[in-house]
Amino acid sequence: MHMADALLSPAVGGVMCAASAAAVVYSAAKTKKDELGEKKLPLMAVTGAFVFAAQMINFTIPGTGSSGHIGGGILLCAMLGAHPALLSLAAVLIIQCLFFADGGLLALGCNIFNMGVIPCLLVYPLIFKPIVKKGLNYRRITIATIVSVVIGLQLGAFGVVLETLASGITELPFGTFVALMQPIHLAIGLVEGVVMSAILCFVYKMRPEILESSLASAPIKSGVSVKKTVIVLAAATLIVGGALSLIASSNPDGLEWAMEKTAGTAELEASGGVFDRAAAIQGSTAFLPDYSFSNSGEESSPVGTTVSGIVGGVMTFALAGIAGFLISLSKKKKRDKKAQ
Amino acid sequence: MADIRSKIADIYSLEQLSLKKSWVHDRHPLVKLASTFLFIILVVSFDRYELARLAPFIFYPVILMALSETPWPIVLKRFALTLPFCLFAGISNVIFERKTAFILMGLNISVGVVSLFSIVFRAFLCVTAVLLLIAVTPMSRITAQLRRLHLPDIFVTLFEMLYRYIAVLLGEASTMYTAYMLRSTEFKGLQMRHMGSFAGQLLIRSYDRAERVYNAMKCRGYDSFAARGKKKRLSAADYLYLAATCLPLIALRIIDVRAAYSIVF
Repeated sequence: MHMADALLSPAVGGVMCAASAAAVVYSAAKTKKDELGEKKLPLMAVTGAFVFAAQMINFTIPGTGSSGHIGGGILLCAMLGAHPALLSLAAVLIIQCLFFADGGLLALGCNIFNMGVIPCLLVYPLIFKPIVKKGLNYRRITIATIVSVVIGLQLGAFGVVLETLASGITELPFGTFVALMQPIHLAIGLVEGVVMSAILCFVYKMRPEILESSLASAPIKSGVSVKKTVIVLAAATLIVGGALSLIASSNPDGLEWAMEKTAGTAELEASGGVFDRAAAIQGSTAFLPDYSFSNSGEESSPVGTTVSGIVGGVMTFALAGIAGFLISLSKKKKRDKKAQ
Repeated sequence: MADIRSKIADIYSLEQLSLKKSWVHDRHPLVKLASTFLFIILVVSFDRYELARLAPFIFYPVILMALSETPWPIVLKRFALTLPFCLFAGISNVIFERKTAFILMGLNISVGVVSLFSIVFRAFLCVTAVLLLIAVTPMSRITAQLRRLHLPDIFVTLFEMLYRYIAVLLGEASTMYTAYMLRSTEFKGLQMRHMGSFAGQLLIRSYDRAERVYNAMKCRGYDSFAARGKKKRLSAADYLYLAATCLPLIALRIIDVRAAYSIVF
């Protein structure tokens, strides 16, 4: 689920970074304004570390390597409230990016958006909260958690598909990509939802006040915060959506191209069945028509320059290796001299 | 699962490297952050078939690794973990893009294969660039710099605390796991039906511990919103570092090195 820099175009990465940064700064301001903001800090840190640690102790879905971030996001929301939860999750994602190379630096915006903004600012207030509004009990907690985790994961996975295709690095058709991503994440979501609801029920049994206070804190006071959140999200969506469509239209390799190839049209109205069938037909026919040898009149580079390109590349690598080796050698010599 | 403690050491291994001494380590965090960002943006700005033009970018990590005496195994190990998704996307290109790019020794090399290599290579470059940044810059200096860049204080403090709490939490998890295993000898690992209460228990224990830590911090006069690093000015060496990293990178982006290849080779 963590997106890498290598699959991203700078434009998509930049836009998503801006959107996520806005959400993080807004949440930070919101948390700071909260009277308990500073006091909550250690709790935010420790629950964030929990999401991280839970992943380290193989508390993942076997076989898929899903890291339980969306489920973790819902868990954090239930314990801390939406805005502190987003901050915690963003911090976890940054640590994973910096120290484990799990998800790229430029891709941070995408990852924070898919795994933080979506579950914390969208799914939690719009799905989790209404379900448990009437009061907490085990049944409501279980249902709310499972439903929110499943929906959050579906939205997050769809975000990954859109961002990857808009970057135009992979050639995977939209239909195939969606058909691959969504069912896998449905299964993951169900398992994750069950585990998260078990944890939340346990916490509720042992310390009901933790869940109650987080639920009572933010929105009930004024009702303004939810409204503002929705406005901010709508603005972010508009900006992001607008920017993405701009990129897609200026870059034929982008989303539009992928859709055109799968469905035969660039319009979004295509229904799921037709879409899938078109994808299947495309898949079965693509093998032959596109398969051509180099003399098909395409603007492929002449063999001469290509070979020189390869030789050049190899020589570059060799030179870089030699340079690195020489520097290390001289460093070692210096150190030995010092030691003497 | 039993080797949680070794995992803790693994997490902080990269940070330990940052405490070494070298010319690269001594540079201002701002210039290192800037050059890392520039590097990544330039690398991903290339078209996906541009393998040849990307090749010279290998100089950046190789030379910095050598100058800072960062060992390759740590970096390569982490790079390997990130490979699967890139390979998935890259291999789908091989399947969907079968147009021939060129012929090498009688073999048709398709456009998809070129883009597969390009994706893996740029993943390698981006990953090493980020890991290098962490390996040569102490955590405290990075976060101080982030504060000076006006990132929300509360967020930076949270980031610092979260990073430190990971070890505490994993230690707690390891203790709990040992206790669990001693009590349930007939099972090999943690039972699925105990997962909820195990994780819940860990969460509550950590929650309590966090409160105690916070009280202790307050008693010692910690004020999170006042903790700011001392301002450090950029030195001539820092400007030199910035110029030495950024100018060649920008030049490589503008100049098409393939032309140079065909002249030299």
